[in-house]
Amino acid sequence: METIVRIPTPLRTLTGGADEVSATGGTVGEAIDDLERKHPGIRDRLLDDKGVRRFVNIYVGEEDVRFLDGLKTVLRQGDQISIVPAIAGG
Amino acid sequence: MNRRANARALVVGIGGLGCPAALALARAGVGTIGLCDDDIVERSNLHRQILFGDSDVGKSKLAAAVRSLGEAFPSLLLKTHETRLSPERAMDLVGQYDIVLEGTDNFATKFLTADACALAAVPVVHASAVRWIGTVLAVGARCRPCYRCVFEDAPTDGVPNCAEAGVMGPVVGVVAAIQVDLALALIDARDVTGAFVSFDGRTDAFRRHTFASRRDCALCGVAARIRCIDASTYASLPCET
Repeated sequence: METIVRIPTPLRTLTGGADEVSATGGTVGEAIDDLERKHPGIRDRLLDDKGVRRFVNIYVGEEDVRFLDGLKTVLRQGDQISIVPAIAGG
Repeated sequence: MNRRANARALVVGIGGLGCPAALALARAGVGTIGLCDDDIVERSNLHRQILFGDSDVGKSKLAAAVRSLGEAFPSLLLKTHETRLSPERAMDLVGQYDIVLEGTDNFATKFLTADACALAAVPVVHASAVRWIGTVLAVGARCRPCYRCVFEDAPTDGVPNCAEAGVMGPVVGVVAAIQVDLALALIDARDVTGAFVSFDGRTDAFRRHTFASRRDCALCGVAARIRCIDASTYASLPCET
């Protein structure tokens, strides 16, 4: 299944400046694996050996995957993934 | 309006977010506003730090902010805290206020503010803006859910997080407006917690994500580990610029 992934500004250097990209996979983890194939380096910015990095949030629709099934969260037709990292500035 | 007139709001960080936030709080009728910062006005600040003008360059931000706000709102009670929010003073300082608006440019102060407000049971609205992106989230006095439910800990690498990364002036205006909107809601006793709002200035798109308390949250979870302010927790953190 193809899912739209919204890319935050800090990670757009890895997507050629694109703020939205597509990823294929039946789960969030599979979609991230596909993102890594298309945009090498992005996986390390999102995940560490314990899962989603502590200062990054990954949402499916409005829901944080931490409160769903983590990387095993199943993607359905029409779902969109949003990546929201912690930022500090103003 | 009585709630607002009687409210005491502390603005931590008088920068691109803190300037419009303080102004909006004053215009909304908040009676007492505390300002916390130890920086001076630089010319590069002026495009987004709207309390300051050319003649303020080189002066204390707090002095310039007090002049600007004091002229516009003579009856407003302004309190100044010309210091960085430090682990030693954080609990005492936030405890003097009914609500805190945090808009600082570093993760150490963000997490310190989050922890101090939680331990002091003071509501806080966090805001951030880097380049074209801004985020806002509100935490109530009961601290559940909290900032650490969303961001467990500060980044250790690879995340742009400092003012040097740049920020668009109009973006901080929008983000500060949302921050004050949420702060006023909390002052008015409306529950606006559990939502995380992001704004993309390139597309003018808002997104609202909901979040809940994390059971294993270090600050508000069932086995919370953060019971006091430990200065070593808030050592300077690296940033990518």
